[in-house]
Amino acid sequence: MFENPESKLVGKREKNGRMEQQGYPYSERPLFALCYPQISRHYRCSLKTYGPSMLPTLGITGNVLLMERISTRTGKLRPGDVVFFRSPENPRRVVCKRLVGMEGDQVTYVVDPKNSDKCNTIVVPKGHVWVEGDNIYNTKDSRNFGAVPYGLVEGKAFWTLLPRRDFGSLAPKPK
Amino acid sequence: MGEWSSFTAVVRGLCLLYVTNKYLGTVTITYGPSMLPTLNVTGSMLLVERISTRIGKLRPGDVVIFRSPEAPRKIVCKRLIGLEGDQITYVVDPQSGDRCETIVVPKGHVWVEGDYIYNTKDSRNFGALPYGLLEGRAFWTLLPRKDFGPLTPKPE
Repeated sequence: MFENPESKLVGKREKNGRMEQQGYPYSERPLFALCYPQISRHYRCSLKTYGPSMLPTLGITGNVLLMERISTRTGKLRPGDVVFFRSPENPRRVVCKRLVGMEGDQVTYVVDPKNSDKCNTIVVPKGHVWVEGDNIYNTKDSRNFGAVPYGLVEGKAFWTLLPRRDFGSLAPKPK
Repeated sequence: MGEWSSFTAVVRGLCLLYVTNKYLGTVTITYGPSMLPTLNVTGSMLLVERISTRIGKLRPGDVVIFRSPEAPRKIVCKRLIGLEGDQITYVVDPQSGDRCETIVVPKGHVWVEGDYIYNTKDSRNFGALPYGLLEGRAFWTLLPRKDFGPLTPKPE
């Protein structure tokens, strides 16, 4: 607040001068601030997982993983990658499992590990992938809902952020 | 300084366009005979909105676009016939008989069919479509000029 009316005018002119130099109104800044994280979020993102289906790779109480979407977009996924995909049974849920087979691969899986050792072999259909949880005794995966269409795969998890002791890249599939 | 401000203006414009495309709506070009007579064989330009798919307000009879379950880089346009839990009766092979089959659409899936059943690859071929593959709902035709206007409901 200026006491002197003359300096009040000077202050206003200076303020106007600064705005003209910058060249855009302040009101558009929040819009830009909202747009940029949305776009970066569509190329990489951190997601929280919970549940027993990926033991021992991921903990039961929860992990925070870094996920990138570039491998899925360029088609550079390989069997052994941990991927996130939209569940075919519940479209609002994103599920995390390990990629076991790409299209055209022959996959042999144990149908019901708790009851018997019976195996089944299928060929993954075109445009689909086969996903399985690391903890085969307690997982809902492609054995239950079949091969997942590639369009549902959201991204590849490549780094664990939390918990601190697991910080680092994800382990390969346990034997 | 002037170049920087025009650069940021371009980046801001692209950001806005990207977010609109991802969340609000987009324009798509379709071609092929599977949606005759609703859509043109040589090509139609449609306005697609993505809000109905996100909030789950789709109804049978809507024309939807989705990512093909057999070719993940292809976007396909068909008509939504049934939502999860609906009972669908469809002609298995219209060119070779009138044999019909009835199925219930499984949970988390939808049933799509082309309007021109004699030349279309739809849920009769690749089965029920997971809802997560739906990209948007087409609601307005931009081109060709004679078809400008809202999309017609399924012909009887």
